[in-house]
Amino acid sequence: MSAVSTATGPIASEDPRRERKWRRRSLVALAILLPLTLAETCYDSLREWLHGEDLIARDVDFGQSAPFGGSDWKLADLRGGKAGRLPDHAFAVIATFTVTIGDPNLQKQWLGCKLMLTDAAGRRWLPDFISGVSLPAGLMTCTSAIFSGAKRGDVLTIGDTFIVPEDAIKTIRPAVGLGSERPWYLRFQRPPK
Amino acid sequence: MRIRILGNLVILASTVALSYGMQVSKPHYADLTAPIPVDGAMHDTVRARSFDVRLDKVVFARQLKTNQFGQEKSLTTSGLWAVVSTNLTATAASTTIADGTWQGPTGLRYRQTERLGYRQDMPPHGVDPGLEKRGLFVFEIPSDQIRGASLLISARQFGPLDAQARISLDGLPTGADGQPADVLPQYDLDAPQAQPPQGKS
Amino acid sequence: MFRTARSKVQTWITAGAGTIAALFVAGLMGAFGALPAHTPPLLPLDTATDAGRWRIRPVRAYVSHARTYGVLLKPGQKALVLEADMTNRTARSDKAYFDVFKPDGLALADPMPMIALTRDGTLTPELHPGMTERMAYVWPLAGEAAVPANLSFGVTAEIFKPRDNLYGTPGWFNPYRLGTITLPVADVPAPGTGP
Repeated sequence: MSAVSTATGPIASEDPRRERKWRRRSLVALAILLPLTLAETCYDSLREWLHGEDLIARDVDFGQSAPFGGSDWKLADLRGGKAGRLPDHAFAVIATFTVTIGDPNLQKQWLGCKLMLTDAAGRRWLPDFISGVSLPAGLMTCTSAIFSGAKRGDVLTIGDTFIVPEDAIKTIRPAVGLGSERPWYLRFQRPPK
Repeated sequence: MRIRILGNLVILASTVALSYGMQVSKPHYADLTAPIPVDGAMHDTVRARSFDVRLDKVVFARQLKTNQFGQEKSLTTSGLWAVVSTNLTATAASTTIADGTWQGPTGLRYRQTERLGYRQDMPPHGVDPGLEKRGLFVFEIPSDQIRGASLLISARQFGPLDAQARISLDGLPTGADGQPADVLPQYDLDAPQAQPPQGKS
Repeated sequence: MFRTARSKVQTWITAGAGTIAALFVAGLMGAFGALPAHTPPLLPLDTATDAGRWRIRPVRAYVSHARTYGVLLKPGQKALVLEADMTNRTARSDKAYFDVFKPDGLALADPMPMIALTRDGTLTPELHPGMTERMAYVWPLAGEAAVPANLSFGVTAEIFKPRDNLYGTPGWFNPYRLGTITLPVADVPAPGTGP
Protein backbone atom coordinates (compact mmCIF):
# COMPACT_ATOMS: atom_id res chain seq x y z
CA MET A 1 0.00 0.00 0.00
CA SER A 2 2.65 2.49 1.05
CA ALA A 3 4.65 1.77 -2.10
CA VAL A 4 1.73 3.07 -4.12
CA SER A 5 1.11 6.19 -2.05
CA THR A 6 4.71 7.47 -2.15
CA ALA A 7 4.60 7.67 -5.92
CA THR A 8 1.86 10.30 -5.85
CA GLY A 9 1.21 13.74 -4.41
CA PRO A 10 3.41 16.32 -2.67
CA ILE A 11 5.76 13.86 -0.94
CA ALA A 12 7.51 13.12 -4.22
CA SER A 13 9.02 16.62 -4.40
CA GLU A 14 10.69 16.22 -1.00
CA ASP A 15 12.19 12.90 -1.89
CA PRO A 16 15.44 13.97 -3.59
CA ARG A 17 16.34 16.20 -0.68
CA ARG A 18 15.66 13.49 1.87
CA GLU A 19 17.48 10.99 -0.21
CA ARG A 20 20.55 13.21 -0.45
CA LYS A 21 20.51 13.76 3.27
CA TRP A 22 20.37 10.07 3.98
CA ARG A 23 23.05 9.31 1.46
CA ARG A 24 25.34 11.78 3.19
CA ARG A 25 24.53 10.27 6.58
CA SER A 26 25.29 6.80 5.26
CA LEU A 27 28.63 7.91 3.90
CA VAL A 28 29.59 9.41 7.23
CA ALA A 29 28.45 6.25 9.00
CA LEU A 30 30.59 4.20 6.65
CA ALA A 31 33.65 6.25 7.46
CA ILE A 32 33.09 5.55 11.15
CA LEU A 33 31.89 1.97 11.00
CA LEU A 34 34.51 0.60 8.63
CA PRO A 35 37.52 1.36 10.86
CA LEU A 36 35.51 0.17 13.86
CA THR A 37 34.79 -3.16 12.19
CA LEU A 38 38.44 -3.53 11.28
CA ALA A 39 39.50 -2.83 14.85
CA GLU A 40 36.94 -5.25 16.24
CA THR A 41 38.01 -8.10 13.93
CA CYS A 42 41.69 -7.50 14.70
CA TYR A 43 41.19 -7.21 18.42
CA ASP A 44 40.96 -10.91 19.26
CA SER A 45 43.98 -11.92 17.18
CA LEU A 46 45.99 -9.05 18.58
CA ARG A 47 45.09 -9.93 22.15
CA GLU A 48 45.89 -13.58 21.59
CA TRP A 49 49.25 -12.70 20.09
CA LEU A 50 50.12 -10.33 22.93
CA HIS A 51 49.24 -12.96 25.51
CA GLY A 52 51.43 -15.54 23.81
CA GLU A 53 54.70 -13.62 23.50
CA ASP A 54 57.29 -12.46 26.01
CA LEU A 55 57.70 -8.96 24.62
CA ILE A 56 58.23 -6.41 27.39
CA ALA A 57 60.91 -7.00 30.00
CA ARG A 58 60.44 -6.05 33.62
CA ASP A 59 63.96 -5.84 35.06
CA VAL A 60 64.68 -7.07 38.56
CA ASP A 61 67.91 -6.39 40.44
CA PHE A 62 69.83 -9.28 41.89
CA GLY A 63 68.72 -10.05 45.42
CA GLN A 64 65.35 -8.41 44.85
CA SER A 65 62.14 -10.36 44.46
CA ALA A 66 59.33 -9.38 42.15
CA PRO A 67 55.64 -10.35 42.20
CA PHE A 68 54.81 -12.26 39.03
CA GLY A 69 51.90 -14.53 38.26
CA GLY A 70 50.62 -14.30 41.84
CA SER A 71 53.93 -15.34 43.44
CA ASP A 72 57.21 -13.70 44.41
CA TRP A 73 60.16 -14.58 42.16
CA LYS A 74 63.79 -14.12 43.10
CA LEU A 75 66.91 -15.23 41.27
CA ALA A 76 68.78 -17.56 43.60
CA ASP A 77 71.71 -18.63 41.50
CA LEU A 78 73.17 -18.62 38.02
CA ARG A 79 76.17 -20.78 37.33
CA GLY A 80 77.84 -22.07 34.21
CA GLY A 81 80.61 -24.46 33.39
CA LYS A 82 81.70 -27.49 31.47
CA ALA A 83 79.65 -30.51 32.45
CA GLY A 84 78.28 -33.56 30.76
CA ARG A 85 78.29 -34.03 27.00
CA LEU A 86 78.33 -30.62 25.39
CA PRO A 87 78.93 -29.40 21.84
CA ASP A 88 82.19 -27.56 21.15
CA HIS A 89 82.39 -23.95 22.36
CA ALA A 90 79.38 -24.41 24.60
CA PHE A 91 78.73 -24.21 28.31
CA ALA A 92 76.16 -25.74 30.60
CA VAL A 93 74.23 -23.20 32.64
CA ILE A 94 71.93 -23.80 35.59
CA ALA A 95 69.57 -21.01 36.61
CA THR A 96 67.79 -21.30 39.94
CA PHE A 97 64.91 -19.21 41.29
CA THR A 98 63.40 -19.02 44.75
CA VAL A 99 59.64 -18.62 44.48
CA THR A 100 57.29 -17.80 47.35
CA ILE A 101 53.83 -18.94 46.37
CA GLY A 102 51.07 -16.34 46.73
CA ASP A 103 48.18 -17.51 44.60
CA PRO A 104 48.26 -21.31 44.79
CA ASN A 105 46.23 -21.75 41.58
CA LEU A 106 49.40 -22.42 39.62
CA GLN A 107 47.65 -24.28 36.81
CA LYS A 108 45.93 -21.03 35.90
CA GLN A 109 48.59 -18.50 36.85
CA TRP A 110 51.63 -20.36 35.51
CA LEU A 111 50.18 -21.79 32.35
CA GLY A 112 52.81 -21.79 29.60
CA CYS A 113 55.58 -21.14 32.11
CA LYS A 114 58.90 -20.55 30.42
CA LEU A 115 62.37 -20.19 31.94
CA MET A 116 64.76 -18.51 29.54
CA LEU A 117 68.22 -17.07 29.21
CA THR A 118 68.65 -13.89 27.21
CA ASP A 119 71.87 -12.26 26.07
CA ALA A 120 72.86 -8.71 25.18
CA ALA A 121 71.96 -9.28 21.52
CA GLY A 122 68.43 -10.34 22.46
CA ARG A 123 68.90 -14.02 21.65
CA ARG A 124 66.99 -16.47 23.82
CA TRP A 125 67.72 -19.96 25.04
CA LEU A 126 65.16 -22.40 26.35
CA PRO A 127 66.01 -25.25 28.73
CA ASP A 128 67.94 -28.17 27.25
CA PHE A 129 68.54 -31.66 28.43
CA ILE A 130 72.26 -32.27 28.86
CA SER A 131 73.23 -35.91 28.96
CA GLY A 132 75.33 -36.49 32.04
CA VAL A 133 73.91 -33.53 33.96
CA SER A 134 70.94 -33.94 36.25
CA LEU A 135 69.10 -31.23 38.15
CA PRO A 136 70.35 -30.76 41.73
CA ALA A 137 68.19 -32.43 44.37
CA GLY A 138 65.19 -30.35 45.45
CA LEU A 139 65.14 -28.39 42.21
CA MET A 140 61.90 -28.46 40.25
CA THR A 141 61.32 -27.45 36.68
CA CYS A 142 58.61 -24.92 36.06
CA THR A 143 56.20 -27.51 34.67
CA SER A 144 56.64 -29.94 37.51
CA ALA A 145 56.08 -27.09 39.98
CA ILE A 146 52.68 -26.40 38.43
CA PHE A 147 51.55 -29.88 39.41
CA SER A 148 53.39 -30.03 42.73
CA GLY A 149 50.32 -28.95 44.72
CA ALA A 150 52.21 -26.11 46.40
CA LYS A 151 50.22 -24.05 48.90
CA ARG A 152 50.24 -20.37 49.74
CA GLY A 153 53.40 -19.40 51.55
CA ASP A 154 55.42 -22.37 50.29
CA VAL A 155 58.88 -21.61 49.03
CA LEU A 156 59.87 -23.54 45.91
CA THR A 157 63.24 -23.80 44.23
CA ILE A 158 62.68 -23.75 40.52
CA GLY A 159 65.34 -24.05 37.87
CA ASP A 160 66.57 -25.71 34.72
CA THR A 161 69.64 -26.45 32.64
CA PHE A 162 70.62 -24.64 29.46
CA ILE A 163 73.26 -24.99 26.77
CA VAL A 164 74.74 -21.63 25.84
CA PRO A 165 77.51 -20.82 23.33
CA GLU A 166 80.79 -19.37 24.53
CA ASP A 167 80.22 -15.94 22.97
CA ALA A 168 76.99 -15.37 24.89
CA ILE A 169 78.03 -16.59 28.32
CA LYS A 170 79.35 -13.14 29.36
CA THR A 171 76.02 -11.36 28.97
CA ILE A 172 73.33 -13.93 29.67
CA ARG A 173 70.53 -13.01 32.04
CA PRO A 174 67.82 -15.36 33.29
CA ALA A 175 64.19 -14.55 32.53
CA VAL A 176 60.75 -15.93 33.31
CA GLY A 177 57.58 -15.79 31.23
CA LEU A 178 54.13 -16.85 32.46
CA GLY A 179 50.87 -17.18 30.54
CA SER A 180 48.98 -14.96 32.97
CA GLU A 181 51.48 -12.10 32.69
CA ARG A 182 52.34 -11.99 29.01
CA PRO A 183 53.32 -9.81 27.17
CA TRP A 184 55.39 -8.88 30.24
CA TYR A 185 58.22 -11.05 31.44
CA LEU A 186 60.73 -10.84 34.31
CA ARG A 187 64.41 -10.36 33.51
CA PHE A 188 66.90 -10.64 36.32
CA GLN A 189 70.27 -8.97 36.80
CA ARG A 190 73.11 -11.46 37.10
CA PRO A 191 74.57 -12.09 40.49
CA PRO A 192 77.68 -9.95 41.04
CA LYS A 193 80.95 -11.79 40.49
CA MET B 1 15.74 10.45 -15.77
CA ARG B 2 17.04 8.60 -18.79
CA ILE B 3 20.57 9.93 -18.11
CA ARG B 4 20.36 8.74 -14.56
CA ILE B 5 19.38 5.23 -15.55
CA LEU B 6 22.16 5.20 -18.11
CA GLY B 7 24.63 6.43 -15.52
CA ASN B 8 23.58 3.73 -13.09
CA LEU B 9 24.00 1.12 -15.79
CA VAL B 10 27.50 2.37 -16.54
CA ILE B 11 28.39 2.24 -12.85
CA LEU B 12 26.97 -1.26 -12.56
CA ALA B 13 28.82 -2.50 -15.62
CA SER B 14 32.13 -1.01 -14.50
CA THR B 15 31.68 -2.50 -11.01
CA VAL B 16 31.07 -5.92 -12.51
CA ALA B 17 34.12 -5.53 -14.75
CA LEU B 18 36.28 -4.37 -11.85
CA SER B 19 35.12 -7.22 -9.57
CA TYR B 20 35.72 -9.77 -12.27
CA GLY B 21 39.15 -8.36 -12.97
CA MET B 22 40.03 -8.50 -9.28
CA GLN B 23 38.77 -12.06 -8.99
CA VAL B 24 40.79 -13.21 -11.97
CA SER B 25 43.99 -11.38 -11.13
CA LYS B 26 44.16 -11.88 -7.39
CA PRO B 27 46.36 -14.70 -6.07
CA HIS B 28 44.58 -17.63 -4.47
CA TYR B 29 44.36 -18.17 -0.75
CA ALA B 30 46.71 -21.15 -0.89
CA ASP B 31 49.35 -19.03 -2.64
CA LEU B 32 48.81 -16.05 -0.37
CA THR B 33 49.35 -18.07 2.78
CA ALA B 34 52.04 -20.38 1.43
CA PRO B 35 55.45 -20.56 3.12
CA ILE B 36 57.95 -18.00 1.88
CA PRO B 37 60.90 -19.73 0.19
CA VAL B 38 64.50 -18.75 0.95
CA ASP B 39 66.71 -20.12 -1.81
CA GLY B 40 70.18 -21.51 -1.41
CA ALA B 41 72.70 -24.01 -2.72
CA MET B 42 74.36 -27.06 -1.20
CA HIS B 43 77.10 -26.29 1.34
CA ASP B 44 75.81 -22.69 1.71
CA THR B 45 74.24 -21.47 4.91
CA VAL B 46 70.62 -20.62 4.15
CA ARG B 47 69.11 -18.14 6.55
CA ALA B 48 65.42 -18.76 7.18
CA ARG B 49 63.45 -16.66 9.66
CA SER B 50 63.93 -18.72 12.80
CA PHE B 51 66.86 -20.96 11.84
CA ASP B 52 69.95 -21.32 9.64
CA VAL B 53 70.51 -24.53 7.72
CA ARG B 54 73.48 -25.80 5.76
CA LEU B 55 73.19 -28.95 3.68
CA ASP B 56 76.38 -30.95 4.17
CA LYS B 57 75.92 -34.31 2.53
CA VAL B 58 73.42 -36.54 0.75
CA VAL B 59 73.91 -40.31 0.82
CA PHE B 60 71.83 -42.73 -1.24
CA ALA B 61 71.33 -46.30 -0.10
CA ARG B 62 69.20 -49.32 -0.94
CA GLN B 63 68.78 -50.30 2.69
CA LEU B 64 68.92 -48.51 6.02
CA LYS B 65 70.27 -50.15 9.11
CA THR B 66 68.92 -48.80 12.35
CA ASN B 67 68.38 -49.71 15.94
CA GLN B 68 64.75 -49.76 17.03
CA PHE B 69 63.94 -50.56 20.65
CA GLY B 70 67.25 -52.37 20.98
CA GLN B 71 66.60 -54.37 17.84
CA GLU B 72 68.70 -54.24 14.69
CA LYS B 73 66.47 -53.47 11.75
CA SER B 74 67.18 -53.34 8.08
CA LEU B 75 64.64 -51.22 6.25
CA THR B 76 63.99 -51.68 2.55
CA THR B 77 62.13 -49.42 0.13
CA SER B 78 60.67 -49.60 -3.35
CA GLY B 79 62.90 -46.68 -4.35
CA LEU B 80 66.05 -45.37 -2.73
CA TRP B 81 66.80 -44.06 0.72
CA ALA B 82 68.20 -40.54 0.72
CA VAL B 83 69.92 -39.60 3.95
CA VAL B 84 70.48 -35.85 4.11
CA SER B 85 72.87 -34.47 6.74
CA THR B 86 72.35 -30.86 7.64
CA ASN B 87 73.89 -28.42 10.02
CA LEU B 88 71.25 -26.47 11.94
CA THR B 89 71.30 -23.37 14.17
CA ALA B 90 68.56 -21.23 15.64
CA THR B 91 68.78 -17.52 14.84
CA ALA B 92 67.12 -15.58 17.65
CA ALA B 93 65.55 -18.08 20.02
CA SER B 94 65.62 -21.78 20.80
CA THR B 95 63.22 -23.50 18.44
CA THR B 96 62.44 -26.77 16.69
CA ILE B 97 62.80 -27.67 13.03
CA ALA B 98 60.30 -30.37 12.22
CA ASP B 99 59.62 -30.55 8.51
CA GLY B 100 61.76 -31.74 5.64
CA THR B 101 60.53 -32.35 2.10
CA TRP B 102 62.35 -33.65 -0.97
CA GLN B 103 60.84 -31.83 -3.93
CA GLY B 104 61.35 -33.63 -7.22
CA PRO B 105 62.09 -31.90 -10.54
CA THR B 106 58.39 -31.81 -11.47
CA GLY B 107 57.25 -30.63 -8.05
CA LEU B 108 56.34 -33.97 -6.46
CA ARG B 109 56.78 -33.66 -2.72
CA TYR B 110 58.32 -36.47 -0.70
CA ARG B 111 57.98 -35.89 3.00
CA GLN B 112 60.55 -37.24 5.43
CA THR B 113 60.00 -40.89 6.28
CA GLU B 114 57.95 -41.91 9.28
CA ARG B 115 59.32 -45.43 9.33
CA LEU B 116 62.30 -44.81 11.59
CA GLY B 117 60.43 -43.96 14.76
CA TYR B 118 61.96 -41.64 17.31
CA ARG B 119 65.66 -40.91 17.05
CA GLN B 120 67.79 -38.19 18.55
CA ASP B 121 69.20 -37.09 15.19
CA MET B 122 65.84 -37.12 13.36
CA PRO B 123 63.23 -34.35 13.23
CA PRO B 124 61.94 -32.55 15.16
CA HIS B 125 65.38 -31.06 15.75
CA GLY B 126 65.66 -28.85 18.82
CA VAL B 127 68.14 -26.07 18.07
CA ASP B 128 69.63 -23.21 20.06
CA PRO B 129 71.06 -19.87 18.92
CA GLY B 130 74.79 -19.91 18.37
CA LEU B 131 75.10 -23.69 18.63
CA GLU B 132 75.50 -25.83 15.53
CA LYS B 133 73.80 -29.18 15.46
CA ARG B 134 73.90 -32.05 13.01
CA GLY B 135 70.40 -33.05 11.95
CA LEU B 136 69.32 -35.81 9.60
CA PHE B 137 66.39 -35.85 7.22
CA VAL B 138 65.65 -39.24 5.66
CA PHE B 139 63.54 -39.68 2.54
CA GLU B 140 62.21 -42.49 0.39
CA ILE B 141 62.37 -41.40 -3.23
CA PRO B 142 62.28 -43.00 -6.69
CA SER B 143 65.63 -42.70 -8.45
CA ASP B 144 64.16 -40.50 -11.21
CA GLN B 145 63.41 -37.77 -8.67
CA ILE B 146 67.02 -36.83 -7.98
CA ARG B 147 68.20 -34.68 -10.85
CA GLY B 148 66.78 -31.18 -10.52
CA ALA B 149 65.42 -31.81 -7.05
CA SER B 150 65.48 -29.45 -4.11
CA LEU B 151 65.27 -29.85 -0.36
CA LEU B 152 62.63 -27.89 1.58
CA ILE B 153 63.21 -27.36 5.29
CA SER B 154 60.79 -25.52 7.52
CA ALA B 155 60.05 -25.24 11.20
CA ARG B 156 56.58 -26.75 10.93
CA GLN B 157 54.68 -28.76 8.37
CA PHE B 158 51.94 -26.18 7.94
CA GLY B 159 53.67 -22.88 8.43
CA PRO B 160 51.73 -20.26 6.52
CA LEU B 161 53.86 -17.21 5.77
CA ASP B 162 56.83 -18.66 7.65
CA ALA B 163 60.17 -19.03 5.91
CA GLN B 164 61.06 -22.27 4.17
CA ALA B 165 64.64 -22.99 3.18
CA ARG B 166 64.74 -24.24 -0.41
CA ILE B 167 68.09 -25.79 -1.19
CA SER B 168 68.82 -26.75 -4.76
CA LEU B 169 70.33 -30.23 -5.06
CA ASP B 170 71.99 -29.58 -8.43
CA GLY B 171 75.37 -30.45 -6.99
CA LEU B 172 74.56 -34.13 -6.57
CA PRO B 173 76.62 -36.33 -8.88
CA THR B 174 74.31 -38.27 -11.21
CA GLY B 175 74.99 -40.41 -14.25
CA ALA B 176 73.72 -39.74 -17.77
CA ASP B 177 70.51 -41.63 -16.96
CA GLY B 178 69.78 -39.43 -13.95
CA GLN B 179 70.68 -42.20 -11.50
CA PRO B 180 72.89 -41.19 -8.59
CA ALA B 181 76.58 -41.86 -9.15
CA ASP B 182 76.97 -43.65 -5.85
CA VAL B 183 74.38 -45.84 -4.15
CA LEU B 184 75.38 -47.76 -1.05
CA PRO B 185 73.89 -51.22 -0.63
CA GLN B 186 73.33 -50.40 3.03
CA TYR B 187 73.71 -47.33 5.23
CA ASP B 188 74.09 -47.67 8.96
CA LEU B 189 72.43 -44.76 10.75
CA ASP B 190 74.16 -45.64 14.00
CA ALA B 191 77.68 -45.83 12.61
CA PRO B 192 79.89 -43.15 14.15
CA GLN B 193 80.05 -40.12 11.90
CA ALA B 194 83.22 -38.53 10.70
CA GLN B 195 83.24 -35.05 12.25
CA PRO B 196 82.09 -32.48 9.71
CA PRO B 197 84.73 -29.83 9.05
CA GLN B 198 84.52 -27.05 11.62
CA GLY B 199 83.64 -23.52 10.62
CA LYS B 200 81.29 -22.35 7.96
CA SER B 201 82.07 -22.40 4.27
CA MET C 1 -7.64 2.44 -9.05
CA PHE C 2 -7.08 0.56 -12.23
CA ARG C 3 -3.45 1.68 -12.32
CA THR C 4 -2.68 0.56 -8.79
CA ALA C 5 -4.30 -2.82 -9.40
CA ARG C 6 -2.19 -3.32 -12.51
CA SER C 7 1.07 -2.43 -10.79
CA LYS C 8 0.17 -4.76 -7.98
CA VAL C 9 -0.24 -7.60 -10.43
CA GLN C 10 3.07 -6.66 -11.99
CA THR C 11 4.78 -6.76 -8.64
CA TRP C 12 3.31 -10.15 -7.91
CA ILE C 13 4.42 -11.52 -11.24
CA THR C 14 7.96 -10.17 -10.90
CA ALA C 15 8.31 -11.56 -7.40
CA GLY C 16 6.68 -14.84 -8.35
CA ALA C 17 8.69 -15.53 -11.49
CA GLY C 18 11.92 -16.15 -9.59
CA THR C 19 10.20 -18.47 -7.15
CA ILE C 20 8.56 -20.40 -9.93
CA ALA C 21 11.87 -20.74 -11.79
CA ALA C 22 13.60 -21.94 -8.64
CA LEU C 23 10.87 -24.50 -7.95
CA PHE C 24 11.06 -25.71 -11.55
CA VAL C 25 14.84 -26.19 -11.47
CA ALA C 26 14.69 -27.89 -8.07
CA GLY C 27 11.96 -30.24 -9.33
CA LEU C 28 14.00 -31.06 -12.41
CA MET C 29 17.09 -31.81 -10.33
CA GLY C 30 15.08 -33.94 -7.95
CA ALA C 31 13.68 -35.85 -10.88
CA PHE C 32 17.17 -36.58 -12.17
CA GLY C 33 18.26 -37.65 -8.73
CA ALA C 34 15.43 -40.16 -8.60
CA LEU C 35 16.66 -41.87 -11.76
CA PRO C 36 17.88 -45.40 -10.97
CA ALA C 37 21.55 -45.03 -10.00
CA HIS C 38 23.69 -47.50 -11.90
CA THR C 39 25.30 -49.91 -9.48
CA PRO C 40 29.04 -49.53 -8.82
CA PRO C 41 30.95 -51.90 -11.12
CA LEU C 42 32.98 -54.92 -10.16
CA LEU C 43 36.65 -53.92 -10.28
CA PRO C 44 39.30 -56.17 -11.84
CA LEU C 45 41.75 -58.01 -9.61
CA ASP C 46 44.54 -58.64 -12.11
CA THR C 47 45.17 -55.00 -13.03
CA ALA C 48 45.59 -51.86 -11.00
CA THR C 49 42.62 -49.52 -10.70
CA ASP C 50 42.73 -45.77 -10.22
CA ALA C 51 40.66 -44.89 -7.18
CA GLY C 52 41.02 -41.18 -6.55
CA ARG C 53 44.27 -40.57 -4.67
CA TRP C 54 45.29 -44.19 -4.89
CA ARG C 55 46.06 -46.72 -7.57
CA ILE C 56 45.04 -50.01 -6.02
CA ARG C 57 45.60 -53.65 -6.82
CA PRO C 58 44.18 -56.10 -4.30
CA VAL C 59 46.42 -59.12 -3.81
CA ARG C 60 44.78 -61.47 -1.36
CA ALA C 61 42.42 -61.68 1.57
CA TYR C 62 42.52 -64.09 4.48
CA VAL C 63 41.47 -64.61 8.06
CA SER C 64 44.36 -64.62 10.48
CA HIS C 65 44.39 -66.03 13.98
CA ALA C 66 47.68 -64.62 15.12
CA ARG C 67 49.71 -61.44 15.11
CA THR C 68 49.79 -60.13 11.55
CA TYR C 69 52.42 -57.62 10.43
CA GLY C 70 52.83 -56.46 13.97
CA VAL C 71 49.11 -55.95 14.59
CA LEU C 72 48.29 -57.59 17.90
CA LEU C 73 44.93 -59.30 18.46
CA LYS C 74 43.08 -59.57 21.73
CA PRO C 75 42.57 -63.13 23.06
CA GLY C 76 39.66 -64.81 21.27
CA GLN C 77 39.86 -62.46 18.34
CA LYS C 78 40.67 -63.16 14.76
CA ALA C 79 41.39 -60.70 12.00
CA LEU C 80 40.27 -60.17 8.46
CA VAL C 81 43.31 -59.17 6.43
CA LEU C 82 43.31 -57.60 2.97
CA GLU C 83 46.63 -57.10 1.26
CA ALA C 84 46.78 -54.62 -1.58
CA ASP C 85 49.41 -52.81 -3.61
CA MET C 86 48.87 -49.10 -3.16
CA THR C 87 50.39 -46.30 -5.24
CA ASN C 88 50.06 -42.66 -4.30
CA ARG C 89 48.74 -40.85 -7.40
CA THR C 90 48.94 -37.39 -5.86
CA ALA C 91 51.81 -34.93 -5.85
CA ARG C 92 52.65 -35.23 -2.17
CA SER C 93 53.20 -37.84 0.53
CA ASP C 94 49.90 -38.91 2.00
CA LYS C 95 48.27 -41.39 4.35
CA ALA C 96 44.57 -40.85 3.61
CA TYR C 97 43.99 -44.49 2.73
CA PHE C 98 41.89 -45.51 5.74
CA ASP C 99 38.55 -45.47 3.94
CA VAL C 100 39.61 -47.00 0.64
CA PHE C 101 38.51 -50.57 1.42
CA LYS C 102 35.57 -51.67 3.52
CA PRO C 103 34.27 -55.25 3.78
CA ASP C 104 30.61 -55.62 2.89
CA GLY C 105 28.14 -57.37 5.14
CA LEU C 106 30.42 -58.00 8.12
CA ALA C 107 29.75 -56.84 11.64
CA LEU C 108 32.98 -55.01 12.51
CA ALA C 109 33.95 -54.14 16.03
CA ASP C 110 35.72 -51.08 14.69
CA PRO C 111 35.17 -50.00 11.09
CA MET C 112 38.59 -48.33 11.11
CA PRO C 113 41.19 -50.97 10.18
CA MET C 114 44.77 -51.15 11.38
CA ILE C 115 46.95 -50.64 8.31
CA ALA C 116 50.52 -51.87 8.14
CA LEU C 117 53.31 -51.70 5.61
CA THR C 118 54.02 -55.35 4.81
CA ARG C 119 57.76 -54.66 4.42
CA ASP C 120 58.37 -54.18 8.12
CA GLY C 121 55.01 -53.76 9.85
CA THR C 122 55.21 -49.98 10.19
CA LEU C 123 51.72 -48.85 11.11
CA THR C 124 50.11 -46.28 8.80
CA PRO C 125 53.19 -44.72 7.26
CA GLU C 126 52.83 -42.00 4.69
CA LEU C 127 53.06 -43.31 1.14
CA HIS C 128 55.05 -41.27 -1.32
CA PRO C 129 54.10 -40.18 -4.85
CA GLY C 130 54.45 -42.90 -7.44
CA MET C 131 56.00 -45.45 -5.04
CA THR C 132 54.03 -48.68 -4.89
CA GLU C 133 53.92 -50.40 -1.51
CA ARG C 134 52.03 -53.44 -0.32
CA MET C 135 49.77 -52.59 2.58
CA ALA C 136 47.83 -54.92 4.86
CA TYR C 137 44.40 -53.79 6.07
CA VAL C 138 43.62 -55.62 9.31
CA TRP C 139 40.09 -55.65 10.76
CA PRO C 140 39.81 -57.39 14.14
CA LEU C 141 36.75 -59.69 14.33
CA ALA C 142 35.08 -61.59 17.11
CA GLY C 143 36.39 -65.18 17.20
CA GLU C 144 33.04 -66.73 16.31
CA ALA C 145 32.19 -64.29 13.47
CA ALA C 146 31.39 -66.06 10.21
CA VAL C 147 33.33 -64.87 7.18
CA PRO C 148 32.01 -65.94 3.75
CA ALA C 149 34.34 -67.83 1.41
CA ASN C 150 34.02 -65.02 -1.13
CA LEU C 151 33.95 -61.56 0.35
CA SER C 152 33.14 -58.25 -1.29
CA PHE C 153 34.96 -55.06 -0.37
CA GLY C 154 33.59 -51.67 -1.25
CA VAL C 155 36.15 -49.32 -2.78
CA THR C 156 35.81 -45.63 -2.01
CA ALA C 157 37.42 -42.92 -4.10
CA GLU C 158 37.42 -39.15 -3.96
CA ILE C 159 37.48 -36.47 -6.63
CA PHE C 160 40.17 -33.84 -6.99
CA LYS C 161 39.29 -30.18 -6.90
CA PRO C 162 42.04 -27.73 -7.88
CA ARG C 163 40.28 -25.19 -5.67
CA ASP C 164 37.82 -25.99 -2.93
CA ASN C 165 34.85 -23.72 -2.46
CA LEU C 166 35.86 -22.32 0.92
CA TYR C 167 39.56 -21.47 0.74
CA GLY C 168 40.41 -22.03 -2.91
CA THR C 169 43.02 -24.61 -1.99
CA PRO C 170 43.49 -27.87 -3.91
CA GLY C 171 42.26 -31.05 -2.29
CA TRP C 172 40.35 -34.31 -2.53
CA PHE C 173 36.65 -34.23 -1.75
CA ASN C 174 33.30 -35.95 -2.16
CA PRO C 175 34.01 -39.62 -1.42
CA TYR C 176 31.90 -41.98 -3.50
CA ARG C 177 31.73 -45.71 -3.98
CA LEU C 178 33.87 -46.42 -7.03
CA GLY C 179 33.11 -50.12 -7.21
CA THR C 180 33.42 -53.49 -5.57
CA ILE C 181 36.14 -56.11 -5.44
CA THR C 182 35.37 -59.70 -4.60
CA LEU C 183 38.11 -61.93 -3.27
CA PRO C 184 38.24 -65.50 -1.98
CA VAL C 185 39.04 -65.46 1.73
CA ALA C 186 41.44 -68.16 2.88
CA ASP C 187 41.61 -69.19 6.50
CA VAL C 188 45.21 -69.08 7.66
CA PRO C 189 45.69 -70.90 10.96
CA ALA C 190 49.14 -69.57 11.73
CA PRO C 191 50.34 -67.06 9.13
CA GLY C 192 53.89 -65.87 8.99
CA THR C 193 54.19 -63.00 11.39
CA GLY C 194 55.65 -59.74 10.23
CA PRO C 195 59.37 -59.33 10.53
